[in-house]
Amino acid sequence: MGVIELAGVARRYETGGGVVTALAGVDLTVDAGELVVVLGPSGSGKTTLLNLIGALDTPSEGRASVAGHDLAAASRGELFRYRRETVSFVFQSFNLFPGLTALENVRFGADVAGRDDAVGVARDVLVQVGLGDRVDHFPAMLSGGEQQRVAIARALATGNPVLLADEPTGELDFHTGTQILQLLRDQASSGRAVLVVTHNREIARMADRVVELSGGQVVHVGPPEGGPVPVDELRW
Amino acid sequence: MARSTTSRHPSVLWLRWSWRDLRARWVQVTAIALVIALGTGMYLGLSSSAAWRQVSYDASYAESNAHDLLVETATGTTADRLALETALDQVAHPEWFADRSVRLVVPVQVDASTDDEDVLVPGQIVGVDVVQGPTVDRVTVTEGRPLTAADDGRLVGLAELRFANARNLPVEHEVRISGDRSLQLQGHAQSPEYFPTASEEAGIFGSAGFAVLFAPLGTAQALNAQEGQVNEVGVALADGVDAEAARAEVEQALSAALPDVALTVTPLVEERGYRILYDDIDGDQRLFNIFAGLILAGAAFAAFNLTGRIVEAQRREIGIGMSLGVPSPLLAVRPLLVAFQVALIGVAAGIGVGLVVGSVMSTIIQSFFPMPAWQTPFQVGIFARGITLGIVLVVVASLFPVVRAVRVPPIEAIHTGPRATRGAGLAVRGRGLHLPGNSLVQMPVRNVLRAPRRTALTALGIAAVIATLVAVLGMIDSFIDTIDRAEVEVTSRNPERVSVGLATYTTADDPRVAALADVEGVAETRPTLDLGGTLRGNGEEFDVYVGLLDFASPIWAPSAVAGELVTDEPGLVLSQKAAADLGVAPGDRVSFEHPRREGGGYRMVQGEILVTALHPNPLRAIAYMDMRHADYFGLDGIVNGVQVLPEPGYPQEQLVRNLFVQSGVGSVQSVRMIIDTLRDTVAEVLDIFDVVQLAVLLLALLIAFNSSAIGADERAREHATMFAFGITPRTVLGIAVAESALMGVLATVLGVVAGRLLLSWMVEVLLPTTLPDLQVDVSVQVGTYLTAALFGIVAVAVAPVFTLRRLRRMDIPSTLRVVE
Ligand SMILES: Nc1ncnc2c1ncn2[C@@H]1O[C@H](COP(=O)(O)OP(=O)(O)OP(=O)(O)O)[C@@H](O)[C@H]1O
Ligand SMILES: [Mg+2]
Repeated sequence: MGVIELAGVARRYETGGGVVTALAGVDLTVDAGELVVVLGPSGSGKTTLLNLIGALDTPSEGRASVAGHDLAAASRGELFRYRRETVSFVFQSFNLFPGLTALENVRFGADVAGRDDAVGVARDVLVQVGLGDRVDHFPAMLSGGEQQRVAIARALATGNPVLLADEPTGELDFHTGTQILQLLRDQASSGRAVLVVTHNREIARMADRVVELSGGQVVHVGPPEGGPVPVDELRW
Repeated sequence: MARSTTSRHPSVLWLRWSWRDLRARWVQVTAIALVIALGTGMYLGLSSSAAWRQVSYDASYAESNAHDLLVETATGTTADRLALETALDQVAHPEWFADRSVRLVVPVQVDASTDDEDVLVPGQIVGVDVVQGPTVDRVTVTEGRPLTAADDGRLVGLAELRFANARNLPVEHEVRISGDRSLQLQGHAQSPEYFPTASEEAGIFGSAGFAVLFAPLGTAQALNAQEGQVNEVGVALADGVDAEAARAEVEQALSAALPDVALTVTPLVEERGYRILYDDIDGDQRLFNIFAGLILAGAAFAAFNLTGRIVEAQRREIGIGMSLGVPSPLLAVRPLLVAFQVALIGVAAGIGVGLVVGSVMSTIIQSFFPMPAWQTPFQVGIFARGITLGIVLVVVASLFPVVRAVRVPPIEAIHTGPRATRGAGLAVRGRGLHLPGNSLVQMPVRNVLRAPRRTALTALGIAAVIATLVAVLGMIDSFIDTIDRAEVEVTSRNPERVSVGLATYTTADDPRVAALADVEGVAETRPTLDLGGTLRGNGEEFDVYVGLLDFASPIWAPSAVAGELVTDEPGLVLSQKAAADLGVAPGDRVSFEHPRREGGGYRMVQGEILVTALHPNPLRAIAYMDMRHADYFGLDGIVNGVQVLPEPGYPQEQLVRNLFVQSGVGSVQSVRMIIDTLRDTVAEVLDIFDVVQLAVLLLALLIAFNSSAIGADERAREHATMFAFGITPRTVLGIAVAESALMGVLATVLGVVAGRLLLSWMVEVLLPTTLPDLQVDVSVQVGTYLTAALFGIVAVAVAPVFTLRRLRRMDIPSTLRVVE
């Protein structure tokens, strides 16, 4: 019984020019403590998949169940609660609050998840992502990579059991990138289900399992060739 | 993804692009267009109405063939018509004089009671020549039938329109007049001398309290037993003749032919009524300009905001354009085109608003100052000016943010986020500021501090409207307070008292006066004497009504706010306003022209009189003197009025009737009635303020809505992020409401302060020139502040609620994905 269970999930968009199929017939199970990398070219439906699991979007068909919540059957209120307490997001385009400092952005994550000592948690997580000295800076004063790390910290601060990261290392150099990946690996080790979206095949090597998407369909699922390697063995 | 355009010229692309920007923000665009529409519309409508008054007054005087010169006999005297006309024929240049009409104006007491109310008022019968005209100062019948030659000598007449309106007289109505006779009124009519009823008596009583009745000349003469006598001649001059030269000629001819008859000749343009009408237009126009200007300022701020935000959203695109080498002016075109289009839409709608406001104003003015000719020609000049002003203001206001945006180095424009460089704003400086509560609670304050310039501009836009609101409502408050002060003063003692005007001057021991004390319902009486005079000083000159009464009267006497009421030397108790205008204080002397009895008649004499005290009545023209000093006017022992104190509980209407039928009684006014009349007059003025008030309230709502719509738009991404973290729309809305409320508080504080300053300026600088007869002091009721708070804080705070639907229906994935 996986934390995330998708069965025959499809997502189609009605546009003026016809129907765009972003996802079709996706079956996927992710267990607690598992780190799954979703791989695929641009436009293959990776973000759409995360959005469906995060209940930001609803499937056009199929069943999605996460941590025992049947997302299709849940009420609006239950979905909001689910997003507060079950999933946390690292967005492809960060979506930090420009009016809040790094610390406050991270604290926001801890606050909404209802964690005690939100400020303490936020500080710890910022230190973990290597931004212990930038806590009082606003997003506008941070580089793209730093902003990305704040976004990751915000997701980690929630402490929720399902972590969804969309291109979390897109803006990062190799060194910082591996630090972050180690952090994600640690999250999985501590029992969370972690889903990482990337188009970087090298990163897929650290995954417990790799899901390959193409044109909205799962074309391959399985452990990486030769089995998962530790983060410090990655090279790109 | 650039779809290929079929346009031949690149400018078509820019136009289409700006049009797309416009549609993408249609909610704000509509709101701002409405704000601009209100601003220009108010300007167009109000200014048009002032222009209409000008043309309508001109047309009314022209259509009635109003006199250019008015020849009058001294008060209370008449002249032989034939002798007068013969004398007028003796002028040196007869060709200067086009026409003339004679009149006999006689004071009369009128009982015009209707089924609804008792109307017992002083008034006058204006006997006009129905046989030959009147050709000068025509009597225009608005309802009913005109008087004809066949009516001469018959007891028929017409009620002057303003009196008829004020008292709701039926078209055909029988009135009782002094001498126990009745006059059959055939309708309502107007004549130039009574366009505003400007006689001394009407000045006190208002149009409701003074009955002007037109009657055939023969009838007036017969009623007054003055066959062949007249006391006024309206003289119309030939085109292009100088009134002053003609006046001199008439004066010369009259004094040569009738040396013993005291006559005055006054040009129309110097007459009080004429001046009141035209001066009022200028005063109103200034007020209108201020209101319209403030509303337009609010509109300009709103437009400034919108373009500022559009520009900000386009910063990246502008930066990209710059790095592609597109010249700055070309980059500025797109946001400016948006502003221009918003202005066009707004101004187009403003024309509609202007027409509506104009027609509302037209109705109000017509009921306030009815005129026989009311013309409302389309004011091309005003519209051209207003439209240009609206467009230029909006485009210029938009120029600032656009110019600033295209001037920044491209690197800054392309920087990570759209709000990148400015994102932190004041919050950066407020970093050390540790706010209590969790991050959600802090969010509103953070957002307000984040973009101080934007916050300031939004707040200023709302503040401009709140300032107008406070000024308009404060103006109404101040007027009402003025009347309240008058009421407090005159009703301080025995508010149920009645003042009786005698038909003629008489001696204090006249048995008819003594008999009033025995009338049923009367507890006590005290004689009074009312006189007119003119005060001069400090470059000011105005008429006053001096009430001589016993300052020790148990019924009523004025109270003094400064100086001593009882003095050995004769002196006047002036209103504070009169003293201030004349630059005098108790103990000073002031130039006073007044009648003095000499032998059997009166002569106007000029003297210096002591100012003994100041009374609190806000009417400048009211003055008092202790009856003990009546000798100052040579009128010791002479009276023309009586203060009456009713028996406690005696019905006032009955008392008024009892007194009115007494011989020698001219008018009976309860003190309450005088106050009510004053209230009615002020209420009419306030109608105009109501129009402005309505516009301002609407505007406040629009701006509130607009700023929250803009806010919701800009924050869409943040809101989507919050949703992704499980924050409910209700909480997001709560944050927006709190943020708006903060903004509203800021704007309201600013607006109230500015409005209060504006009000002081209007009341202390503007009113004294437009309304010199009244002392209006700044007075703002708590209700006004509450209304300001209601619109400035509550409405602004609640406005985001209207975005709830949009929040709920937000496409979260798309909003989150947008890469700026
Ligand atoms: N609202 C929408 N309307 C129409 N098509 C959409 C919409 N949202 C997404 N799509 C389409 O769905 C497909 C999948 O999009 P998705 O964002 O999931 O891609 P992705 O794999 O995350 O790509 P990338 O690596 O570039 O982020 C794309 O072809 C996209 O154009
Ligand atoms: Mg994606």
